[in-house]
Amino acid sequence: MLMKTDPVTAFRIEQLTVDYDTNDGGPLRDFSLSIRQGEITCLLGPSGCGKTTLLKALGGFVIGRDSGGVLFEGRYLNGPTPNIVMIFQENNLFPWLTVRGNVAFGVKFKRGNGPSDPAIDAMLQTVGLDEAADRYPHQLSGGMRQRTAIARALVSAPQVLLLDEPFSALDVSLRRRMHTLMLDLWEKTGKTMVMVTHNIEEALKVGHRVIVLGDSPARVLIDADTSSDAMNDRYSSEFLQLQQRIEDVIY
Amino acid sequence: MKKRPTSRFAPLIVGALSVAALLGAWELAGLQGSMLASVLPPPSQFLRSIAQSNFRIGLGSQAATVTQSLLATFLRVFAGMGIAFVAAIFTGALLSVSRFATWSLSPILQLLAPIAPIAWIPTAIVVFGINDFTAIFIVFMGVYFILTLATLAEIRRIPPEFQTVAGNLGANTLQRWIWVTLPAILPGVFLLLRTNFIAAWMAVLVAEMVGLRDGLGAIIMMGRNLFNNDLVMFGMVVIGITGFVVDRVLQLIGQRVLWWRV
Repeated sequence: MLMKTDPVTAFRIEQLTVDYDTNDGGPLRDFSLSIRQGEITCLLGPSGCGKTTLLKALGGFVIGRDSGGVLFEGRYLNGPTPNIVMIFQENNLFPWLTVRGNVAFGVKFKRGNGPSDPAIDAMLQTVGLDEAADRYPHQLSGGMRQRTAIARALVSAPQVLLLDEPFSALDVSLRRRMHTLMLDLWEKTGKTMVMVTHNIEEALKVGHRVIVLGDSPARVLIDADTSSDAMNDRYSSEFLQLQQRIEDVIY
Repeated sequence: MKKRPTSRFAPLIVGALSVAALLGAWELAGLQGSMLASVLPPPSQFLRSIAQSNFRIGLGSQAATVTQSLLATFLRVFAGMGIAFVAAIFTGALLSVSRFATWSLSPILQLLAPIAPIAWIPTAIVVFGINDFTAIFIVFMGVYFILTLATLAEIRRIPPEFQTVAGNLGANTLQRWIWVTLPAILPGVFLLLRTNFIAAWMAVLVAEMVGLRDGLGAIIMMGRNLFNNDLVMFGMVVIGITGFVVDRVLQLIGQRVLWWRV
């Protein structure tokens, strides 16, 4: 894992209040937090604690009420922006389009400066899908589907990737391969990534920073820097101690 | 006991044998000169009779060939279904984006939907006269309402993630409609269009029976007026075969062109 250098703030969440009547996710009340640029931040916590709500707020999909909100590049978010792209656990891909069609989906909406065919080819190669470019989503494995979604998100050159439990439907070996891919992509692009997960080991392995949320409305229980080399070794005392601490808080 | 795998051609072979058995029994009943033969003339009899008139049906200059009748019926049924398909998608779209449209149009749709298409025939004749538009209108009324409700249901079934992804990638509302909503709903609406084809087919035949010069429904009506059972039976068989073929073609389109499910 590469070490981050001089992180600056990507998101500043200021006294964010979100109440849900019918939507999934827990509420947020006067919630404040900063997300650093160029880092992979993982959000952990029990179901209903507000992780997904927070992720949606970072994407501009839910807007806080009252005076609080989410500042991105110094401006309050008041809706989704192409600079922040979200990847879901499922339903990411359009079933009527091939892998290439899905990855190139956003091209037609860009005026003049969209990604070219070679850029799409290069991205397909980066995520190891160049040979599956003409397949449809139902012909892909779960990992291939998520790689397609990641490729599509990256080809649109966003500044931030938001990932909502992207690997939770995958088996263990596939999930580990996706972790490696994600870290490779981060090393190549240096994107800010925020990932919601239920998997503590995943968060510690992939994240530079792990934030554990608890209760509802959400509050930060643990905010740990996990970018040190010791966190790369899942048998190191630092890794195991933090894992135990998070388990104690969540369970 | 282990089940033996069946050949993919088995249903086709069994189906063909079943139809052949029916035709054989029908022919046999006709050959023996029973009463049944005059009411239900066998294929060899009515085909010979129609062939003698060079497959032209009708009197004098009013006569039309079987092909003309077939094409006329196809034109009416496909025009009615096509217009209903497009109109239903537009109406469903309007209802899905506007609460005011839902409040104002839903009661009207629900009031008109239960009216059988045949009940519109007198009104259609008054408005359009006895011509193609009457038949097209009857077909339209037979499938439009059910397709509108299906469109609305399909739109509501679209995973919200699809719209989020498209919005994230820079699509505006209209672009999301064209590139996400439309392809997402088309297979489901088309499937219902296919299942409603039989209703449309029956509607057009009834409309043709009210006085149009050509069309498959007109053939049967002419046979009845002339006490010509050969004509009636020929019309019925052509209707059965063409209805079956069109249904299979629509099924093929659904499987090959609009194959995905969301």
